[in-house]
Amino acid sequence: MDEITSSEVAARLIDSELSRLDPDANRPPNVISSEGLNLSFGAKSILTGVNMEFARGTITALIGPTGSGKSTFLRTINRMNDKVPSFRHEGDVKLDGESIWSSGQDLLTLRRRVGMLFQRPNPFPMSIRDNVVAGVRAHRIAKGKQLDIVAETRLREVGLWDAVKDRLGDSPFRLSGGQQQLLCLARALAVGPEVLLLDEPTSALDPLSTESVELLMRAMTPALTIIVVTHNLGQARRVSDKTMFFYEGRLVEHGDTSQIFDQPREASTDRYVNGLMG
Amino acid sequence: MSVVGGDAESITALGPIRRTTLVRRIGALLRSNEEHVWRYSARSAAIIPLAGLAFVLSVLVLKAWPAVKVNGFSFLTSSAWQPGSTYGAVVHTNGVAHPPGSSYGAWPLIAGTLQTSIIAVLIALPISIGTAFALTERLPGWISKPLGFFVEILAGIPSVVVGLWGVLTLGPLLAQHVYPLIANHVPNVPVLNYFRGPTGYGEGLLTSGLVLGLMIVPIIASTTRDLFMQVPPLPKEGGEALGLTDAEVARWVTIPWVRSGIIGATVLGLGRALGETIAVAMVSGSVLGHVSPNIYGTMTTVAATIVSQLDSAATDGTGFAVATLAEAGLILAVISVAVNVAARIIVNRTSRLSAPVGRDS
Repeated sequence: MDEITSSEVAARLIDSELSRLDPDANRPPNVISSEGLNLSFGAKSILTGVNMEFARGTITALIGPTGSGKSTFLRTINRMNDKVPSFRHEGDVKLDGESIWSSGQDLLTLRRRVGMLFQRPNPFPMSIRDNVVAGVRAHRIAKGKQLDIVAETRLREVGLWDAVKDRLGDSPFRLSGGQQQLLCLARALAVGPEVLLLDEPTSALDPLSTESVELLMRAMTPALTIIVVTHNLGQARRVSDKTMFFYEGRLVEHGDTSQIFDQPREASTDRYVNGLMG
Repeated sequence: MSVVGGDAESITALGPIRRTTLVRRIGALLRSNEEHVWRYSARSAAIIPLAGLAFVLSVLVLKAWPAVKVNGFSFLTSSAWQPGSTYGAVVHTNGVAHPPGSSYGAWPLIAGTLQTSIIAVLIALPISIGTAFALTERLPGWISKPLGFFVEILAGIPSVVVGLWGVLTLGPLLAQHVYPLIANHVPNVPVLNYFRGPTGYGEGLLTSGLVLGLMIVPIIASTTRDLFMQVPPLPKEGGEALGLTDAEVARWVTIPWVRSGIIGATVLGLGRALGETIAVAMVSGSVLGHVSPNIYGTMTTVAATIVSQLDSAATDGTGFAVATLAEAGLILAVISVAVNVAARIIVNRTSRLSAPVGRDS
């Protein structure tokens, strides 16, 4: 007992205090998990038997040919598919251990916690500043003067502030495509999501804008968990920790990104990541 | 080329063969100048509406001019409507002959026109936007398609039929059950006390506004529905994915996306309401000479007055009463043009933040 110095005691106290303050301390390590998930539109089965866990603070890339079901999987996580009348699901998707379809789960809150960025920029027909704070106002996170601070903070976060600070009241449609996408990213980040779903976020962008989005993705983790659908294999390789390969409505293989690309277990994965199959 | 060739009746001095050749030649000439023919016919077609408008306006000004000279500026502010004596000696004012004691003022008509049209738009706009929303976003296709067709049919009901329904059914119903309820429960404070007082028998300002509102709903609703269908899904999905409610997506994305179009549709409806004649003539009470003291009172509009007074005006041997009606018509035309210009200015102001036209995402 004598060996324990007072400074060690202090360090342990600080540690325990920090872990008590950590909002993620008591949450499951996997922020999202899908269990035996089957998805279908009407009689057409899109995806079967997906079991997957997404660790908090990681970037997971969803790759696979068009029509393999990866986008449908992504859009299931924030329940965007629910409005399609023929959409059916079996199995479950859980956010922090709670089913996203459970009665205690408020759809609007779910979508605040699980944000989304789309294939093409989709700003709202309102000023640049109002775009950033639209979600903040809707969820009543801030109001009045606070909104200006939120707008500036988020625009700085995505590196757009200097480009737009003199025209916050202008239409977002005069910005370049890349700037518009960054604006949409700022808008998604403004409501403080825990998970961000990216649906081919750079497919409509030039290489420079693509690079800045990728850098941001790296910078946003581990504060955020990111799931990104991409057709850009280089992008998956560059930014993601884990990769899931979808093919013909099945999750063929998943694992560390380096393993998927360098030592794929399945033949179809091998052919896809080596460009032999589109 | 059998147009001429085989017809024995058409054979003239030129003879069948030569005539056919002539037709061919003209045809060839036209074809070789196809571009010119097309250009000039398109140009002349474009001029026709302009020429028509100029013609109507100039005739209106010409016919109204004697009345403008006599009635002067007070025509816009006076409430009098005295045709004067048909039997006395004709009087001359500013060189224009008119019956003795005649005195006209269009203020009640102008006020009535604006009041009924504003009520109509205030009622029709929210209903139309709601209808358009239900048709495009809320209802499944098997019900929204026939319902949309129904809305368009509503636009085709003759206004005289709507007026008949208004005066026989809607007016009495409202006067008996609805108007007294409102009048007795509205607090006696400024602005709101406009809804108090005698409620009449169902012919008057509010009934006219309601009937007009109903008539312009199909115009605004069907246009707005078409506009909503053009809003791309991606920005709306962006709103949903952000956790906005359906109402917020509507208010912040869908409606602003087509705001200038909705304003245009509203002006179209407003124009119809300003000019609507027979239905208003039937349900307004057609009472000249006063502005209704409350929202239920009898009144009339410019258009309704023109149609209801034309017969008696024709009995004025000096033609002055007809000239006065023409002046009223001129004022109505000016109001309509002013409304359209104002709408154009509003559209230019508000489209600053709207989406660029043709955005397909």
